[in-house]
Amino acid sequence: MKKLIPLVILVMVIDFIAELIGTLTFTLGTITISVLPLVFAVILGIVFSLIPSGFFKRLYSNDRVKFAGKYMIFIMLPLMARYGADVAPKINEILSIGWVFLIHEAGNLGTILFGLPIALLLGIRREAIGSTLGLGREGELAYISEKYTLDSPEGHGVLGIYLIGTVFGSIVFSILAPLLLAMGFDFRAVAMSSGVGSASMMTAASSALVAIHPAHAETITSYAAASQLLTSFIGTYIMYFIAVPLQRFIYNHMTAKLDKHPVQEAA
Amino acid sequence: MQAKSQSTVQPSPAHDFLIATGVLGLSVCLTLFVQAVKLIRNPASTPITTNTLIGLGTLWLFSLIGVGISMLMKKTPWKIVQDFPMLGWVSIVSLVFCLISPFFVKVIGAVDFLSLTTSVLAFAGISVAHDLGALRKLSWKIFVVAIFVYFGMYFMDTLISQLALMVSGK
Repeated sequence: MKKLIPLVILVMVIDFIAELIGTLTFTLGTITISVLPLVFAVILGIVFSLIPSGFFKRLYSNDRVKFAGKYMIFIMLPLMARYGADVAPKINEILSIGWVFLIHEAGNLGTILFGLPIALLLGIRREAIGSTLGLGREGELAYISEKYTLDSPEGHGVLGIYLIGTVFGSIVFSILAPLLLAMGFDFRAVAMSSGVGSASMMTAASSALVAIHPAHAETITSYAAASQLLTSFIGTYIMYFIAVPLQRFIYNHMTAKLDKHPVQEAA
Repeated sequence: MQAKSQSTVQPSPAHDFLIATGVLGLSVCLTLFVQAVKLIRNPASTPITTNTLIGLGTLWLFSLIGVGISMLMKKTPWKIVQDFPMLGWVSIVSLVFCLISPFFVKVIGAVDFLSLTTSVLAFAGISVAHDLGALRKLSWKIFVVAIFVYFGMYFMDTLISQLALMVSGK
């Protein structure tokens, strides 16, 4: 318990600074980007650990860092409970286009269709299995570590994208959401696609949308939350039954072609 | 809390449940703190009312019920049910209660949405503090792949949704 109190104080300090910075909004060309306090919170959590002083070294003890990782999921649960309240008032509207929500989950395969070819062309091989199976969050981490262990190339691949996602995920999605709007997509389509299965990415994306369309805030958050819920429901099974075979198929065919012409190191 | 403690499958479910109770309590307290700081920064943001406090208690309770269900489901023989994530159970519990009574929607609505997120990400930042060496060692190629992975998923999802919405005439 004594070890916990400094951690709680650290989190409160981070929260305090992040909230005082507040939401920063700026425009890049025609795109309006909102950077939320949660982005500053993750950055501060990392930056404090880099301060070269004995005090911060001791503050970021193994125990506390491990505790933060292990129990982050429980810290996140009230947010998950909040989604229920966001979805409930709009449930009829959502059910009326329920099939849209269902089939758009197939878009999850975009990680493989876009990510895997690029990875293979860049000369990445087995690591690519881990880093393109999905968004590289808890679900993929569990699957890959069970099947290949985290010490394998596949494991390094999924750990890599997990780290990148944790550090940069929310900022990337704060930019992608307005970008998709600027590409001409309906805000409802972008909103329901924001429930990608990662709470921080979904929050960053949907908040960025709300900042642009404040009048539709309720629709945006309810659509995002509903699809987040659906993703957590069926995302694992899409991964097991569709993503894994699809990935294997593309991987085998592409590596067979690429490695026949000996430009890259053989896998 | 819970009488049945099986030391064979998991270390101690009762102990885990107790820790979850505490950490969830910490989470809602941090949410209240963040909402208070938001009010300092911007007095026009979501006010803290009695409903906020009831709402936080409700979120705590729904989360705890979700944790309980998730732990019980781990004991079922069906892998599909076992694998369903805790996060999903919590959302479902909350959704069911919120559909039953609009009271829950009202009190939970008094909790500022973004206030629920800041501490989560603070924890996330702290949790990777010792992995930064590994992050620095990653090849630039993985970063390029990550961008394509994120864009690929978001873009494909949106494209399919857009087409489906057009087909449904909405």
